[in-house]
Amino acid sequence: MQSRERMDKRITNGVALGVIWLAAVATVAALGTILVYVIVNGIGQLTPAFIFGWPHGVNMEGGIWPTIQATLYVTALAMLITTPIAVLAAVYLAEYAVQGRLVSTIRFAADSLASVPSIVMGLFGLALFVEGIGMGFSVIAAALALSFLLLPIIVRTTEEAIRAVPKYIRWGSYGLGASKWQTVSRIVLPSAMPRITTGVILAAGRAAGETAVVIYTMGTMINAPVSPLDPGRTMPVHLMLMAQEGINMPAAYGTALLLVLMVLGFNLTARYIGRRNRRMQG
Amino acid sequence: MADNKQAQAPEPDVTPYASDSSLSTISKATYFKEAALRNLFLLCACVAVAGVGLIFLFVGLKGWPIFEKVGVWQFLTGATWYPTKGSFGILPLIVNSLLAMAGALVLGAPLAIGTAVFLSEVASPRLRELVRPAVELLAGIPSVVYGFFGLVLLRPIIARLFGGLGFGLFTVWLILAVMILPTIAALTEDALRSVPEGIREASYAMGATKWQTIWRVLLPAAKIGIIDAIILGMGRAIGETMAVVMVAGNARVIPDGIFKPFLTLTTVIVMDMPYASGDHRTALFGVAIILFIISMLFVASIRVISRFGKEMG
Amino acid sequence: MRISRSAACLAVAIAAVCLSGLSGCTKADGASQTSLTVTGSTTVLPIAEVAAEDFQTANPGKRVLVAGVGSSAGIESVANGTSDIGTSSRDLKPEELTLGLVDTKIALDAIAVIVNPSNPVTGLTKAQVSDIFQGKIKNWKEVGGPDLEIGLVNRDEASGTREAFSKFVLGKADFDPTAAVLPGTGQVRSVVAQAAGAVGYISLGFVDSTVKALDVDGIPANEKTVADGTYPLWRNLHFFTKGEPKGLVKAYIDYVLSDEIQNTIVRDAGFLPITAGGK
Repeated sequence: MQSRERMDKRITNGVALGVIWLAAVATVAALGTILVYVIVNGIGQLTPAFIFGWPHGVNMEGGIWPTIQATLYVTALAMLITTPIAVLAAVYLAEYAVQGRLVSTIRFAADSLASVPSIVMGLFGLALFVEGIGMGFSVIAAALALSFLLLPIIVRTTEEAIRAVPKYIRWGSYGLGASKWQTVSRIVLPSAMPRITTGVILAAGRAAGETAVVIYTMGTMINAPVSPLDPGRTMPVHLMLMAQEGINMPAAYGTALLLVLMVLGFNLTARYIGRRNRRMQG
Repeated sequence: MADNKQAQAPEPDVTPYASDSSLSTISKATYFKEAALRNLFLLCACVAVAGVGLIFLFVGLKGWPIFEKVGVWQFLTGATWYPTKGSFGILPLIVNSLLAMAGALVLGAPLAIGTAVFLSEVASPRLRELVRPAVELLAGIPSVVYGFFGLVLLRPIIARLFGGLGFGLFTVWLILAVMILPTIAALTEDALRSVPEGIREASYAMGATKWQTIWRVLLPAAKIGIIDAIILGMGRAIGETMAVVMVAGNARVIPDGIFKPFLTLTTVIVMDMPYASGDHRTALFGVAIILFIISMLFVASIRVISRFGKEMG
Repeated sequence: MRISRSAACLAVAIAAVCLSGLSGCTKADGASQTSLTVTGSTTVLPIAEVAAEDFQTANPGKRVLVAGVGSSAGIESVANGTSDIGTSSRDLKPEELTLGLVDTKIALDAIAVIVNPSNPVTGLTKAQVSDIFQGKIKNWKEVGGPDLEIGLVNRDEASGTREAFSKFVLGKADFDPTAAVLPGTGQVRSVVAQAAGAVGYISLGFVDSTVKALDVDGIPANEKTVADGTYPLWRNLHFFTKGEPKGLVKAYIDYVLSDEIQNTIVRDAGFLPITAGGK
């Protein structure tokens, strides 16, 4: 009797673990399928003419350079706006804040901001920046709307990075008579910097891939923006429009691949920085 | 990946040394500088609160006229969305959004939890190095690429296998499940990791198999975190636009089958906005504010459940 | 591969469109004009825009500003002098006939009803098409086809093609609300090409070997039947001007009517050259 129980236990164990393996395999397979499909269908498009050329004609034949420029521009601008604010906010939450009503509200607001559907953020940007303030469809309007989206993400990763700095380092600094700000700015932040950077780069990847926010704040016009007030069409928006129109599918595949490569680039860079940091910290 | 982790923050390591201690020998200038900096940082943190307020204000203001005109109740429960003929009822859209979310969860949550259990309990460190980046990469793929993939690869396959056009709930469930998987998996893995090692050892010591330990000890112990993860996944599913609009088919009715086209709260905005004007446009802003409220309800419910769970010990 | 100079021209043209939009810089004046404004139908927009870009490359120093605001708005703005050319995908309404506008037709837009190539049905009456798209007929066997559910594919409400189809076929009736609503011609075509029971409508110019165009009321859908007017689902695309076109306006219109443009840009956009005939 006892050995049957033991056998049952083992069978259940085997089956269950098999299912768990299956889940993991399915996950990796899903990723693999998407990547392989995008790469195989888009690789033929990756010529210099496509990457650096301009689209022309009714069906946007040619290249997608203006969309690449627009994407990089708005991502850079959004990160420039949001990173200082987010890092300082995280400093507050990690170093200065005392548990209380205000902090609870801030955290609730940050979580809410993080779960806002991006299309709502897009309409918000349209209502406030494009129409309300009157910026029109522009890089700056999109960057501002994006920065609200990215803020909670960077706050979270920065806060964790700061908390990960060991206490004894701070004690040492205070023991030497340093003020709070001196400790934070010269000891804690530099120590947390690699992790913070990782978080920022990952957020940049998110910004680059955003569609719903950008389409209502930057417009859909093909343009290589120069001033922040210029409109433009980013790569995700271009992909969506090409796919919807359905006539120039090769351009859509090419854009999809370039976009995935860009995001992958951000991802791998962030991971590389993180790994180097871990190795250095032994 | 922990950027979605619920911020149940412990007390920060606030050392009052430099600002409050009577033993401090700092000058008045430094004190004021410290205070000013502290307030600057506080201001930055309050940007988040300002953001939420601004969204409510601007989206709400733009959407308010439709609630005035049609009435909140009629807007929410009206069964016909036909703005060009003056009908502004979003009930079918709400139902469709919920249907899409529910199916995505049924498919995605077990897959995600299974993957998280794999990463936390089953995988060797080398396998972990392979699978966890895969999950993180899935999280990083833009939603428009997911939609594109669904449109060009999934839809034709489903049309061939199941008849119909290939649009509909089934296709949306597949795509959404893969999209919310990283969110749920990451949080679940964190929750499992924070279960103390001793509990596992005790379980094994009593002769339990790995699965028995996972199923009867670890998952229940991580229950709160897992529920949080699922709710976050729900929020993500209901708020997703780009991936859904390319595979849903966009018919403004409740579908009578899982392979029939349908429109959701999010996709109605992206479909109608390019040409909507007047009341129609206002109504879309109304839908947006409803979406915002729904997402905040999800966040609030996570908080409530976490507090409830903590009290239960 | 075209970068730098033509890119700059394109960028300038488009930036100018964006900034000035409807405001229209100059009034129709004649030979001394260096820029002209073209506003109107979003259906005609692709032709007008790309032709403008090429026209500007061929005529440095001249600018053509294009905006898509709708046929009615385009007609109105050329009538009151805000723009030089008003483009339209519809004919003038009775009350607009007194505005003194001169009509130059620049392309033909024919709409084809398409089905999957595996569908044995080859033609339908206009009434049947109407019933199918209203959702009254749900199975192909009701119109002489196999026992297969009809997969109805519609276009989005912003589409000029949908508007035209609705006018030609449905009249006052509504589309079946359970139909799939797709935002682009290419999507309609590829969905119909891959789903056995699907039916949709696209501009005739975009019909290719992946789909089958049905006969309507016994008339097959091809360039010849559109040109001689026997095929029922077609319309003209118009450039309207106040009075006869002169100077730069005439140059641009002549350019759009030239064989080269008619056979490249017009066809790329899915339309048929006006020189193919038509009333």
